[in-house]
Amino acid sequence: MGYSLSYGRMNEILKELQQNYRVYAPRRWAGRGRYSDTDLIRYGEIAAVEEVVHDEKSDFSPKEIIFPITQPLFYFTEDEYRESRVDDQGLLIFARPCDINGIRRLDTMFLKNGDSEDSYYRRLRDKARFVLMECGTGWDTCFCVSMGSNRTSDYSLAVRFLPDHLLVEVRDEAFKRYFSQEREVEFTPEFVTSNPRTVRLPEIDSSGLLRKVYDLEMWKEYNSRCQSCGACTAACITCSCFTTSDLIYNENARVGERRRVWASCLHEDFTAMAGGLGFRATPGERLRFRTLHKVYDYKARFKEEQMCVGCGRCDDRCPEFISFATIINRLSDEVERLKKEASQEVAGQ
Amino acid sequence: MNHDLDIKKLRNHCYRQSKVPGEFMLQMRAPGGVIEARYLSLVQHIADTWGNGLFHLGMRQTLSIPGIKYEDIPAVNRYIKQYIQEIEVDLCGVDMEVTEEGYPAIGARNIMACIGNIHCIKANINTTALARKLERVIYPSPYHIKISVAGCPNDCAKGHFNDFGIIGLAKTEYDYDRCIGCKKCIEACAKHATGVLSMENGKIVKDTCCCVGCGECALVCPTGAWTRNPTKFYRVLIGGRTGKQTPRMGKLFLNWVTEEVVLRVIKNWEDFSAEVLEHKPVYLHGGHLIDRAGYNRFKEMILKGVQLNPEAMVAQRILWTETEYRSNFNVRPVNGVRAEG
Ligand code: SF4
Ligand code: SF4
Ligand code: SF4
Ligand code: SF4
Ligand code: SF4
Repeated sequence: MGYSLSYGRMNEILKELQQNYRVYAPRRWAGRGRYSDTDLIRYGEIAAVEEVVHDEKSDFSPKEIIFPITQPLFYFTEDEYRESRVDDQGLLIFARPCDINGIRRLDTMFLKNGDSEDSYYRRLRDKARFVLMECGTGWDTCFCVSMGSNRTSDYSLAVRFLPDHLLVEVRDEAFKRYFSQEREVEFTPEFVTSNPRTVRLPEIDSSGLLRKVYDLEMWKEYNSRCQSCGACTAACITCSCFTTSDLIYNENARVGERRRVWASCLHEDFTAMAGGLGFRATPGERLRFRTLHKVYDYKARFKEEQMCVGCGRCDDRCPEFISFATIINRLSDEVERLKKEASQEVAGQ
Repeated sequence: MNHDLDIKKLRNHCYRQSKVPGEFMLQMRAPGGVIEARYLSLVQHIADTWGNGLFHLGMRQTLSIPGIKYEDIPAVNRYIKQYIQEIEVDLCGVDMEVTEEGYPAIGARNIMACIGNIHCIKANINTTALARKLERVIYPSPYHIKISVAGCPNDCAKGHFNDFGIIGLAKTEYDYDRCIGCKKCIEACAKHATGVLSMENGKIVKDTCCCVGCGECALVCPTGAWTRNPTKFYRVLIGGRTGKQTPRMGKLFLNWVTEEVVLRVIKNWEDFSAEVLEHKPVYLHGGHLIDRAGYNRFKEMILKGVQLNPEAMVAQRILWTETEYRSNFNVRPVNGVRAEG
């Protein structure tokens, strides 16, 4: 069912929704961008729909709402502990198709990876509902179509922002009551069907090939280009790594909290272990790890889909202009070359 | 040629005497060093028509055209009238009457600036915009003043060697919850700046005493835990100069002041100069004026009527260090004997 309503009416409905939900959307932090006189667009709670930045891609993804950057897990004293609490407000999140598809990957990582679910993820995830935002024509770094993540039906509401009014689709019965007074119209959201950027995925079909991929020269080029800053992973909707640590409140007492904080596989100390051992010493190796995780390992393990959804935020945020889409295409070319060489070797024998 | 030329008068109209008798170099102002590129054709026209075909990128970012013959100066002045009108009045909002006599004054020198945040990734401020606002404050004062504006504490604009060096600062703010403890900001601060950041319990603490406001922490932070306070802040250096006798680097006068404070301070310069020079606008570096008045009197006059913002820091004293070429007591001849002069 679709509705047409004014911004004023939508804001009244927003107020009603906020009795039961915290409403999050990409918002503008004026002047707080990386460079002077640029803005930062990231998720925050909104007070009015006009605050939603719908015509630009946000710098950061909505994952921080359900997978907070810093998350206290429990508080402890010497002999007892108490779990951190979350309130019972729901979470209503304005999101794009790639992000909603990305959150399905996070679900897999936190809920279907191994025997036990991650309860700290579960308790926020269960509360989340989505308001789908249309992308118009998309942006120059997007490659969602190549990754098959340009569409979704996993949303409660969908919205189209027009200059003087909004079109809303209500998919989830639970939200119908908020719109009962509104004028009904035909509306279903549109999805982008092509991106300026096309990405070809590598087909790595044997462990022998994988080993050769590890040793490709192309990774070394990134040793001088990549600064290991981790901006790409922080922006990524599907990066789910964190470190867990204890914070002792007082040096003389055993009172404190256990918390988890995002981590990045691009940082030097990501694989650091006691004794100073680390697996991936160079930026190129770390970038190789990230690439293969996004477009090989995850799918090899969970089958259905690749991890990367092609949101392109890693390309947007990389201060060194390293394009992940280009890396994937280069890798695919290299894989094709390696396969051809292998078949020629066989033929030549 | 006519050997009776009033060199001083010509200089006041921004024509500099050449070693070739009767020739002059015109120095056209370009406040902040940024103008629309189309004006370059005008420069070329002057150089080809009245000059010797050469063009000098002036040391203070003037558009300098050498080899202009004395008798052609009236024609050149008529020709640059429109440029002066468009740059000084229309663009900078200078309150002046544009005549056919060329530039009305040379005292307040062209304001220099680095490219700033209209281009530079390190910049914290729009140096071009500030230079234009300052032009409105100082021009066409007959009193000498040299200002340079830098977009960040890197000071590519060499504000440290001007009467006033104005440097854009970022007041970076920290969001505890967004920080992932990656230490990138600590490394960046130690490498590029003063190393005031450290780690405590997986998060960052800052020793605010010595943050130079460079913004490197905000540039490097992957999560946006460090962001710039959108209000722009400035550092003001004073008394820097080059010269034959006592060149010296400028010293910190104000730190963390707002643009409003900067503009008000510069506005007071004319009154200060007039007092020290007994109302005779002679050419003397700003630093010498401060020396004559003494820092305390300078401070009193230059801050007159200025409402300092709460974050502002003001120098309690200035410890000048100059290179003193008159006594030369730090240099000795190689063989221990001073050559007979
Ligand atoms: S790897 Fe890049 S394009 Fe893929 S989901 Fe992450 S941020 Fe988006
Ligand atoms: S954002 Fe770019 S430079 Fe930074 S870690 Fe990622 S690829 Fe390397
Ligand atoms: S002073 Fe700073 S802002 Fe200006 S050009 Fe140099 S680095 Fe860039
Ligand atoms: S760079 Fe940012 S995320 Fe990393 S430690 Fe510093 S503030 Fe925290
Ligand atoms: S702005 Fe301050 S804290 Fe940040 S890098 Fe520069 S000196 Fe260090």
